[in-house]
Amino acid sequence: MRMMHLAWGLLVAACATGARQAARAPDSMPATPEPAAMAAPRRPFTFPAADSATALHLLNRLTFGPRPGDIARVQRLGIQRWLDEQLDPARISDPVQGAVRERYAEAFAPPAELYAEYPPPNLARRPPAPPGRPDAPPDSMQIARFQQNGRRLGGAVVMATLARHAGSERQLQEVMTDFWFNHFNVFIGKQADRWLTGDYVERAIRAHALGRFEDLLKAVAHHPAMLVYLDNAQSVAPGSQPPALARRILARMPDEVQRRMPTGINENYGRELLELHTLGVDGGYTQQDVQNVARILTGWSTVGPGLPGGAPLGGRLAGRRPFTFEFHDWAHDRGEKFVLGQVFPAGHMQDEGERLLTLLALHPSTARHIAHKLCERFVADEAPDGCVDHATAAYLRTHGDIAAVLRAIVESPDFWAGTVRRTKVKSPLEFVVSAMRSTGATPDSTPRLAGVLQVLGQPLFQQQVPTGYPETQEMWVNSGALLGRMNVAMGIASGRLPGLTVDLDPTVPLTTDKDALVARVNATILGGQASPNTLRVIRQQIDDLADPTMARTMAVGLALGSPEFQKQ
Amino acid sequence: MARCDCEQADGISRRVFVKAGALGLVSLGLDPLFLGRAAYALRAPGHKTGGKVLVCVFQRGAVDGLSMIVPHAEAAYYRGRGRIAIGRPGSGDGAAIDLDGHFGLHPRLASLKPLWDAHSLAIVQAVGSPDTTRSHFDAQDYMESGTPGVKSTRDGWLNRALEHRAEHRATPFRGVAFSQQLPRALQGSAPTLAIPDLAAFGIRAPAGARDRLTAAFEALYGGGETGIIASTAAESFEAVQLLKRADPTRYAPEHAAQYPRGPFARAMQQVAQLIKSDLGMEIAFVDVGGWDTHINQGSGAQGQLALRLDEFGGALAAFNQDLGDRMADVVVLTMSEFGRTVAENGNSGTDHGHATAMMVMGGGVRGGRVAGRWPGLEPDQLYEQRDLAVTTDFRDLFAEVATRHLGIAQTDAVFPGYTASPDRFPGVLE
Repeated sequence: MRMMHLAWGLLVAACATGARQAARAPDSMPATPEPAAMAAPRRPFTFPAADSATALHLLNRLTFGPRPGDIARVQRLGIQRWLDEQLDPARISDPVQGAVRERYAEAFAPPAELYAEYPPPNLARRPPAPPGRPDAPPDSMQIARFQQNGRRLGGAVVMATLARHAGSERQLQEVMTDFWFNHFNVFIGKQADRWLTGDYVERAIRAHALGRFEDLLKAVAHHPAMLVYLDNAQSVAPGSQPPALARRILARMPDEVQRRMPTGINENYGRELLELHTLGVDGGYTQQDVQNVARILTGWSTVGPGLPGGAPLGGRLAGRRPFTFEFHDWAHDRGEKFVLGQVFPAGHMQDEGERLLTLLALHPSTARHIAHKLCERFVADEAPDGCVDHATAAYLRTHGDIAAVLRAIVESPDFWAGTVRRTKVKSPLEFVVSAMRSTGATPDSTPRLAGVLQVLGQPLFQQQVPTGYPETQEMWVNSGALLGRMNVAMGIASGRLPGLTVDLDPTVPLTTDKDALVARVNATILGGQASPNTLRVIRQQIDDLADPTMARTMAVGLALGSPEFQKQ
Repeated sequence: MARCDCEQADGISRRVFVKAGALGLVSLGLDPLFLGRAAYALRAPGHKTGGKVLVCVFQRGAVDGLSMIVPHAEAAYYRGRGRIAIGRPGSGDGAAIDLDGHFGLHPRLASLKPLWDAHSLAIVQAVGSPDTTRSHFDAQDYMESGTPGVKSTRDGWLNRALEHRAEHRATPFRGVAFSQQLPRALQGSAPTLAIPDLAAFGIRAPAGARDRLTAAFEALYGGGETGIIASTAAESFEAVQLLKRADPTRYAPEHAAQYPRGPFARAMQQVAQLIKSDLGMEIAFVDVGGWDTHINQGSGAQGQLALRLDEFGGALAAFNQDLGDRMADVVVLTMSEFGRTVAENGNSGTDHGHATAMMVMGGGVRGGRVAGRWPGLEPDQLYEQRDLAVTTDFRDLFAEVATRHLGIAQTDAVFPGYTASPDRFPGVLE
């Protein structure tokens, strides 16, 4: 297995030798300001008065739930100013960022380093060989450590994400990071995505979460995590020949490796790019378009892992950076293509793909598809037509400025309608993070909280299908999951939930005054909106509990497990 | 990639309606158990009390169907597998156990031979998906959605099967996955449960506090709250109560059944428990992993595959023994996303292939036979010159089980975009 892996790594690296350098890294692309769009006059909108129920609604939808004091802060600032601030995250000072980077360093390390530190299981598991050989594998102690580390890696990416969702002041950016990751879902368990997902969330998703959709789409399309996940990395024009060096290496390899060499086009990414990422399933494309998109994207690939242990490649392979985007001109389909009625003349290589992505990003079907998904997320499971129209218009007017589209949604009467308030069921992620925020809980340095999300049915970064997790409540409400939420609620309240550190003293101080305790819990956890039944049940349940700690645990646990807290 | 939102929405509203109706009765003070009996009484007279149960076992990772059900009469099997072939029957230790002169059981499936002899175990060889993906992730998805090649299907085929069973008890236990998550196959608008461990299902608290906390949460959700959360909560607490009466913590297998050790055997024992508790379970789903044998698969009665099959066969046999006469109403259907290469690879393992073998066991099974057309293993008979070709679409097997065991007439609703036809059924059920 080891030999094979070594051979495979070299081969994939060698396939890159025919590549020309990527035209430009997505991150270094100059920002294209849109002065006309920026200056476009907005229809004046009068926000409703920021009473506490209205402020709670705003916070429930645009953040991962209020912390104690957040409702008052919105009331103090006013909805307009609070929104302006959140839509421009660079201006918000955010101390948690540095702490998270330090604590969960693995989640931010370059994929090539992670590969060296956390080798693939088949390498880590190989049996020890006699010492003294130049390629001697690690001894059994090292193997055990590698395996343990490997399990920790996925956990670190999840924990870094949870810590920022819970602690960041840039809440709308965090919410949109969750939204866009789900929109551009990848599965951390598929091949190299194990080492790539943290980098993908950071550089492709979060960096563009409130920017221009075109930049976001291109960052995703250039990221190896997506190219691996949807198989584009191994999509080649039929009959294409890898460079001579790769062919020589290949000829010496076992049949199994030779059989694994791609021989044709893989439509997987091309199809999902149209159906899920941009135009939408009813966006007006044909099977011919799917095939042509796949042909345009042949050659959009990535450099392989190279040598085990991350040793630099030598000889003619020197200088290739493992796990980065690379366009393989040898694999590219050289013919003319047609997509959505537009000609893509032959011979423009990687630029054909760049042009295609721009075309898709600015397409009216994309505008409507994205607007619909955003209204579903922020307003109601069944997105109101008015919201979708409003958001679509903003998208088209600003050429896909995500912040402008979000502003249009919040400035839509549908967003504030009484009928949509507190009707959306929180996803397990939203439930856990909002509970953390309302109780001031912080994740510890272990990955155990990741397991809690798994038990509740939403293991982060582990959705295998490219559709991501659905936004609608049917997915999240089932018996096991609901009982699970109640257990998690009591676990947080009693400070016994694995992976979380909870100190309730600052938010719900101990008291022997039971009515005061109920009022406090209502204010800090339920935004003052508990139903009479919930208040009555909590009061009843603490009535005979003389120990103030026990009474507080019961009251907080019931509040977090109440029907009100499951909704936003 | 047609999505039918209309049908989806209809299913959901029907579910909410049914659940809201049940909730109304509960809030009037009627005992949920009584409700269950009332619904049950609506069934046609003369119906057996147990109700039909389908137990689906998913061998995740693509089981090597050719060493599980060995084509020992094929010279090509032995040519391709110099190091890992299972020997011909009678060839000594670790040889295959002959079934019909052409196929044999892996030696560590010996515990299933008595079921074969009793005609309650049938095997379908060369079954698989019309989609040619060799990705575990896509192939499992397709097999669970029941729509090969279509990724946008939202619900699973077993959930749609529940939706389209005309008669059933009003119980939260209709579809149960014995796992932490609801598998794709059971997701959808019909109510289903994911129960990782029967004994721990419910509010987790020290024994003294559990009843009190359960009652407290029940009161929180029972006070005029409406919608899917409230109805699901009512269902959950009903399930917890029903389960408590059935007392699954005090369970002893019957008929001297001995389950092997291991998570799959433990899950199968819980399936048997729940069937005997008479809580109205119609579909059970159990995962069993460890079949992705790319390296050192093992040969004869030794190695990775042998160990996995040992627990697998032992648990199925113990389950059959434990249920005794009740097996008359139960069918166990095993499945795996695809099979493995005919030839061994350079690591004494096998790589991702195409067709595999599935088993059907239980009451009404036309057992003691290997069903499905056998395509052969000679090079010109293989799919892409390397894999066992698919001659039975998995949907034909699943549709036969849905029709003949679960009594579902509209199989095109369970397998959208596919017209299942009895002349293509492999014929494993009466």
